[in-house]
Amino acid sequence: MAVDRTNLFLATIKTVKTRNKILNIGSEEAKSTASIHPRPKGEFVVRAKDVIQNISKLRDFLLKHRKDYIDATGFLTSEVSKMTDNERDQIDNDAQTFMRTCSEAIRIFKTEVLKQPMPQQVRSHREAVFELMEAYLKAVCKLYSEQRAIRVKRVVDRKRISRLEPEGRRTGTDMTELRQRHKRARAELNSEEGDHKSETDDSKVMKNTPASDDPLQMEYWDEDEDDELSPEEIQMFEQENERLYNEMNSLVDEVRQIEGKVVEISRLQEIFADKVLQQEVEIDRIADTVVQSTENIKEGNEEVREAMKKDAGFRVWILFFLVMCSFSLLFLEWYS
Amino acid sequence: MRTIMAASLREKQTAALKRMLNLNQEPSRSSAVEPVWKVLVYDRFGQDIISPILSVPELRDMGVTLHLLLHSDRDPIPDVPAVYFVMPSEENVQRICQDLRNQLYESYYLNFISAVSRQRLEDLASAALQAGTVPQISKVFDQYLNFITLEDDMFTLRHSQNREAISYYAINRGDVQDSEMEASMDAIVDSLFSVFVTLGTVPIIRSPRGNAAEMVAEKLDKKLRENIRDSRNSLFTSDSLQAGQFSFQRPLLVILDRNLDLATPLHHTWTYQALAHDVLDLQLNRVSVEEPAGEKSPQGARPKRKAKSYDLNFTDKFWQSHKGSPFPEVAEAVQRELEEYRSQEDEVKRLKSVMGLEGEDEGAISMLSDNTAKLTSAVSSLPELLEKKRLIDMHTNIASALLDHIKVRKLDVYFEMEEKMMSKQSLDKSLMDMFSDPEAGSPEDKMRLFIIYFICSAQTMSDAEIDQYAVALQAANCDLAPLHYIKRWKAFTKMTAAPSQYGGGGTKTISMFSRLMNTGSEFVMEGVKNLVVKKHNLPVTRVADALIDNKSYQDTEDYRYFDPKMLRVTDSSIPRNRNPVQEAIVFIVGSGNYIEYQNLVDYVKGKSGGSIKRITYGCSELSNAMLFLKQLAKLGSELH
Repeated sequence: MAVDRTNLFLATIKTVKTRNKILNIGSEEAKSTASIHPRPKGEFVVRAKDVIQNISKLRDFLLKHRKDYIDATGFLTSEVSKMTDNERDQIDNDAQTFMRTCSEAIRIFKTEVLKQPMPQQVRSHREAVFELMEAYLKAVCKLYSEQRAIRVKRVVDRKRISRLEPEGRRTGTDMTELRQRHKRARAELNSEEGDHKSETDDSKVMKNTPASDDPLQMEYWDEDEDDELSPEEIQMFEQENERLYNEMNSLVDEVRQIEGKVVEISRLQEIFADKVLQQEVEIDRIADTVVQSTENIKEGNEEVREAMKKDAGFRVWILFFLVMCSFSLLFLEWYS
Repeated sequence: MRTIMAASLREKQTAALKRMLNLNQEPSRSSAVEPVWKVLVYDRFGQDIISPILSVPELRDMGVTLHLLLHSDRDPIPDVPAVYFVMPSEENVQRICQDLRNQLYESYYLNFISAVSRQRLEDLASAALQAGTVPQISKVFDQYLNFITLEDDMFTLRHSQNREAISYYAINRGDVQDSEMEASMDAIVDSLFSVFVTLGTVPIIRSPRGNAAEMVAEKLDKKLRENIRDSRNSLFTSDSLQAGQFSFQRPLLVILDRNLDLATPLHHTWTYQALAHDVLDLQLNRVSVEEPAGEKSPQGARPKRKAKSYDLNFTDKFWQSHKGSPFPEVAEAVQRELEEYRSQEDEVKRLKSVMGLEGEDEGAISMLSDNTAKLTSAVSSLPELLEKKRLIDMHTNIASALLDHIKVRKLDVYFEMEEKMMSKQSLDKSLMDMFSDPEAGSPEDKMRLFIIYFICSAQTMSDAEIDQYAVALQAANCDLAPLHYIKRWKAFTKMTAAPSQYGGGGTKTISMFSRLMNTGSEFVMEGVKNLVVKKHNLPVTRVADALIDNKSYQDTEDYRYFDPKMLRVTDSSIPRNRNPVQEAIVFIVGSGNYIEYQNLVDYVKGKSGGSIKRITYGCSELSNAMLFLKQLAKLGSELH
């Protein structure tokens, strides 16, 4: 625990002063010291302090609007959130340009100052001063970039939720939750559409069975609670709803057409079936016949072959007979 | 569940320093605070106090642009406040007056390390008046930070300045004058007083009778008593106590004299921190290691060895967990850390390649966000990994340097022998062999071994034996002066009980081969015994244990008891306050060492179920065996 001796010191000064006055020592010095004004501040310090003050202004500004910027509870209130996206963008741009000018200014200041000749210790002191300034600027920039990171993350998450992935991983409860919030936000405009939506949503619910969803549901629950519905989001949701509604309608028509066509097809198919059955009988007969004829032909072939064989043998006998007759004639003629 | 422990001495000192650097205001906790530039001027003692606690980057964070020694040439730096942190000695005050006359800085915040006297204040006042700079002196503070904190629970009083005034030599000299003795005692008491002001509590003091410790205890008691009675300026008012410190939980201060135990400072060490102090000369948590440079220079000259200095402080987790472990364990632990680091590095590299492959897959957005999360975590953990690598490298270097020394000087053999002596086991190798072996260690090592043998031998050695050993020692180039002093010391104190105080120790040698097979360690510790030290209590620890638990132990029965809050000074040995002691401070008048510190830390850990939560170890100076041996040599040579 440190003990403050400043008061004691000041009291000592007074005693020394009175003692000196009594002893009449250094009275002229006392007068001259009294007339020394406080020394004027050097230019370096004035400029450095200016820079620091500017950075502090930026920091205060960022901190003041931080709550509005992040706006964690905007979706719960019925009114539109306190800061539109345009304002946020403007804050971002302004802060960025300001930070850039600050760092430029520091750099220029630094090169200017370090060009001048000065004793070694003063130089190292000033270099350290610049380092500290830059570190301070970096800290304030970090504040800003944190805010911005939170905002960007929100936007990305919002987009992810609003995109409705194709497998329909959302559960019905999720949708109704969103609908409720949405209704609360835009109750005065969406009454009619809301009814439609709930109809179509029910049909959609029946058609889309939830997949194994518990962790996802938890995830979406968390995100929904974090999320706020800004007008941009509401608009996006409305558009989605319109689109869904139209899709549903067109789907219903198509389905009906398909139904009719399917009925016709079934009728025609019955006729086909009858005819086909009739043809079956005929075809059976033909098949039998064909089979028989093939067999006949086969037999016929056999006969013909036999006949050809016999024919060939017969011819051989005839030839032999004729040859014999001719030989006998020859013999008879030769011998007679 | 234990209650929250009160802040340690180091934390309190750091808080006080930070408040001082913030121009004596509480440092604010908001983010991105405007920097206020200042110049820090200190003397050598201030430097010793600040350097183990605040590093240069931390000083920078607090806005200190320049830090300079008081007695150096300083250029005028306009428009900047200057924070002075100096002892209120005559020459320092003169130099400050000179600065005021030269008008070096814009405003002056004078912080005196201990209380400044009226005379000096008047000198300052007249100088300020003469120079006309009275409005520039913004604040004058007495910081009461007259001690150097090295660890959370270890402090010492002097390091580089005025060390000799309160060393063992100065107090135990044969021809010490009364006035010098008074001056040394006053210096010690002043510092102890600052310790308690910083802690914010009034202790109960116990000390033995009849030596320097008793003098210190009496003076401290008187000083605390005066301060408490002076209700206007008391430093121990209740608003300085923070919540969680009840006024009936008072710490116990045990003041002991170095003469209680002369063997431990000379003992060869085996734990990491103690080895670093003994072999590599750990000063103010900084070690300097000689590193051989890479290849030899082309001319074949000797490779230049550059000395690298490393900081070993409380931010280094490896050091904090292993500074008390025996050396082989440290080697293994470094190996383990290295492997862990390598596996983490590989993971980061793998993540890099995984990211490259999956970055084009647009459909899997959730996977991408997972990867980005992994990437951000990898990026944020990279600086940690690099820091870890740096620490591992540092510890590897330090451990290798230690290992080299151990191998060269055969310190493990010495350690084993000394442990055996202290526990009165029989020795494998006789002392004569050790002394005549030219390779085993430096002459100082042999001297230390012999002195320990002499102190611990139960039966008094005959003069003939002593002379025999003396001849052998002289053949080994040892200086025999300490021996004379020890002889006289032993005769004086008649500590025949002393050897038994070391009992219960001892070592076991574990075969190194099994370890080598298992770990394949980089540290080729063949030839170095892997000694496991059994737990035992050094004399200091035993005394502390007895006093803390109010056990009756033959040596401490006669200890004096001081309670500064009691109205009358009594000369009793009977403790009036029998509450269980939660916190204790053990202070050695003379030189302290890391071995005792480590022993106390182990003792507290061993008693984790008991009442004692923290023991802080303090000494008037921290000296390793070499320095202590030199002091003994001086004392011995003066005897003749």
